[in-house]
Amino acid sequence: MSGEQPAHETPEASAAIELSRRKGPSRKKRAGDSLSDIRQAAAPYLTMTRIAVLQLARSRLARLGAIVLACVCMVAVFADLFASDLPIVCRWKGSVYVLPGVTHPAALAGATCAREARNPAPGDWTLPPLVAHGPTEAAEAEDILRPPLTHGHPLGTDALGRDVFARVVHGTRTALGVGTAAAIVLVAIGVMLGAFAGFAGGLLDSIVTRAVESLTAIPTLVLVLVVGALVPHPTTATLLWTIALTRWTDLARLVRAEVLLTLGTDYVTAARALGASPTRVLARHVLPNAIGPALVAATFGIASVILVEAAVDFLRVGSPDTMASWGEALGEARANAGAWWLIVFPGAALLVTLVALNLVGEAARDALDPKLRGVGEELTEGMRG
Amino acid sequence: MLRYALRRILWTIPTLIGTSLIVFLVTTLAPDPASPASGDDPRAPARDARVEEARRARFLDLPRFVNSDPQDIRSRTAWAVAHAGAGDSQADIAAAELRRLGGAAFPYVLPALEALPPEARGRLAVALGPVAERIGLARADEMSDPQAAALFWTRFWDDRALDFTRAAIERTVARLVEHGSDLREEDLVRLDTFALAAVIAAMGTEDDRMTLVRLTRIARHATERGPKLGLASTAGEVRRAVADWREWWFVHATDFVAIDGAGGVVAVLTETRYGKWLRRAVGGELGVSATDGEPIADKLRAHAPVTVLICTIALLLSWTLAVPIGAYGAWRQRRTFDVVSSAVMFLLYATPTFVLAELLRRAAGALGRGDARVGLAVVALAAASLATSSRWQRTAMLEVMRQDFVRTAVAKGVPAWRVAVDHALRNALAPTVTLAGLHLPALVGGAFVVEEVFGLPGVGFETLRAIEAHDSAWLMAVVLATAVAVTLGLVLTDMVYGALDPRLREELVRRQGGRAA
Repeated sequence: MSGEQPAHETPEASAAIELSRRKGPSRKKRAGDSLSDIRQAAAPYLTMTRIAVLQLARSRLARLGAIVLACVCMVAVFADLFASDLPIVCRWKGSVYVLPGVTHPAALAGATCAREARNPAPGDWTLPPLVAHGPTEAAEAEDILRPPLTHGHPLGTDALGRDVFARVVHGTRTALGVGTAAAIVLVAIGVMLGAFAGFAGGLLDSIVTRAVESLTAIPTLVLVLVVGALVPHPTTATLLWTIALTRWTDLARLVRAEVLLTLGTDYVTAARALGASPTRVLARHVLPNAIGPALVAATFGIASVILVEAAVDFLRVGSPDTMASWGEALGEARANAGAWWLIVFPGAALLVTLVALNLVGEAARDALDPKLRGVGEELTEGMRG
Repeated sequence: MLRYALRRILWTIPTLIGTSLIVFLVTTLAPDPASPASGDDPRAPARDARVEEARRARFLDLPRFVNSDPQDIRSRTAWAVAHAGAGDSQADIAAAELRRLGGAAFPYVLPALEALPPEARGRLAVALGPVAERIGLARADEMSDPQAAALFWTRFWDDRALDFTRAAIERTVARLVEHGSDLREEDLVRLDTFALAAVIAAMGTEDDRMTLVRLTRIARHATERGPKLGLASTAGEVRRAVADWREWWFVHATDFVAIDGAGGVVAVLTETRYGKWLRRAVGGELGVSATDGEPIADKLRAHAPVTVLICTIALLLSWTLAVPIGAYGAWRQRRTFDVVSSAVMFLLYATPTFVLAELLRRAAGALGRGDARVGLAVVALAAASLATSSRWQRTAMLEVMRQDFVRTAVAKGVPAWRVAVDHALRNALAPTVTLAGLHLPALVGGAFVVEEVFGLPGVGFETLRAIEAHDSAWLMAVVLATAVAVTLGLVLTDMVYGALDPRLREELVRRQGGRAA
């Protein structure tokens, strides 16, 4: 059993009841208030959640993964400070622009860092980003396939003359954005359907179980490739929705099993005997137990979505829009055998992110419940491409 | 065991139906060629003949799941007769429809001709003129006069009504197949589209090249479409033409054949987009490739062995390595071997297959061993499944080692290696291999990637070419084929493990059947 049990059922809580009884005051209060007193008294004691969090924090690998992940998230969020064709802050023709690369003011249309720096007007100044190249900025012919550390390109350029550093940095945003968005949707669908299937039973349960079986049989990568080819105007959103709408299955299966387990416990029977409505049983007793596994699954889910997204872009049938992506950058490497920097840097970015996500996910799973060991793999296996 | 096998297979049927529904829904994502997005007025009837044909090939003219009013030759003829006879605004379309329906419509038009008012009769007879011309019984100028045309058709039906029966036509086709001659071919051409059902059925059973050429010529003459074949046509051309005709017939059969009796009831479900698509898929007819006109089923058969082969070898290779690595790692938990192998497996687990494949390809290229493509592809594919299975094996082994009977065995003084192999590993093996079924979809996805990277002519490689060429028939077939293959693979692994460990049976059936966890 994992997750949070109602406080009055743990041994610590019964001790707390004992304590509060000795103190006396709660006896004078009405029954409804005494429950909150018990909660307060029990607070310093360890709950399952606290145990999980503490254990998670103790794991060295989990800390490492979390730190790396935090860095990757920072890069994704502040990608425009690291690499952009427009400065962070600049004064141009008398007006000051903050993050023009994000706000896209009409006055600066067509301008780039490099061009403006060449002939600065009097009184103008710029605060350039770390690398003054945007991910989609195509350079002049001589800038094609530059090795790293040449001409202001710290990681070189690709076959279209685009800066690899900028593409890796902005690819982080694509990968994490798509991964997180898809994971949120699929966790929502999976928890909802799994909980209702387990709770309602009967026909609804059968239908959900059949749907899970049927969807599981279709390889994600194949499905995403084919849907991308059949839809008239495929975008990254197409990929996101394809994954989100088909990969909730493993989570639904897990949540359903968890719900069935919880429904058989004594405290649910007790709650029912006390007259709790089905909604209350579901919301207070059943769902809290499913939250832990769902979070673990979400972590692995993000990793899987990133993996599929990269694989699809690698196979050159990804978004035709010029959104930077690691997979697309790695795909570039296939056609240019000599350019090692095209495979090393995006590949490293992808690998580091996936390793970090898996580290955090595994540690969370172990911390949550030692018995869950191995479940995460079962969960994500269907999604690997 | 038999009962278990039957139950397991029965539980697969709803799953397969569900899969077919999902794949069907995916196929509906492909844009409708005649959607208003193309800029036409959607109300304009029969837009472009080619667009109309493309829509029909995907059954877009049919409702999705339930057809409350299935169309057949009778209803189509009735519509065309009503409009051609009335000479209203849709008379031209009706005349074209009559020309298309041809001889198959005669049994529903000509007997009723007498009963029509003279004007309608004349108009209808003239509208049928092109058919008379096509079957070589009248010239265009003879059929332009309403009275003469009506007289012609009355006389035609008096003479020939007996030829337009199913029994007669089957006899005629059988004679042609038995002894092909120009005269017998001519007989069938006279019957026009009425002969199509028997002619195309004969194409499926016949394999004599000359006879097939004759049959396709008859079909071509009646429908004014299809590839032109002569005596010099090669066997390949004939084969493709026959595939094309059978495909066409599957789509258009109800234009020329009446639905009656029990067929009328079933047609409510079969004459729908899903019904037609499913019937064709079950029969192994997956359409014709848009790139080279080959039947998809043949192409799949040609490319599938590569994919199946590399998947199987990769799976076997990964198991042979994963079981000892995982089991030994668990046995020596937290020792050097365990720590190192766990770390390596974790890294492998996180490494995307395509990155690994690309790195292997480059490494092999640098070493001058770029020709070992199949071997490298298998290694790249096996790596992902090795990482997964060895981690499962380790977990399962740790779980078993914690149990009492292992401790008892150690306490009794059983040698360590025997405890490890006989007591622990034997029991830790089953869950690992059962979980392997879960790896199948990922394995197929990985196979697509390595085929593309190493240029192996498997299903995945061909799929990526099909994506470039927008060959939607192939893409739809591939999703269905992989889904069915994975489902069957799952059943197969479950069977094997159910046979190995009877305790697992209930669990296996229930996992699929899912009454309780």
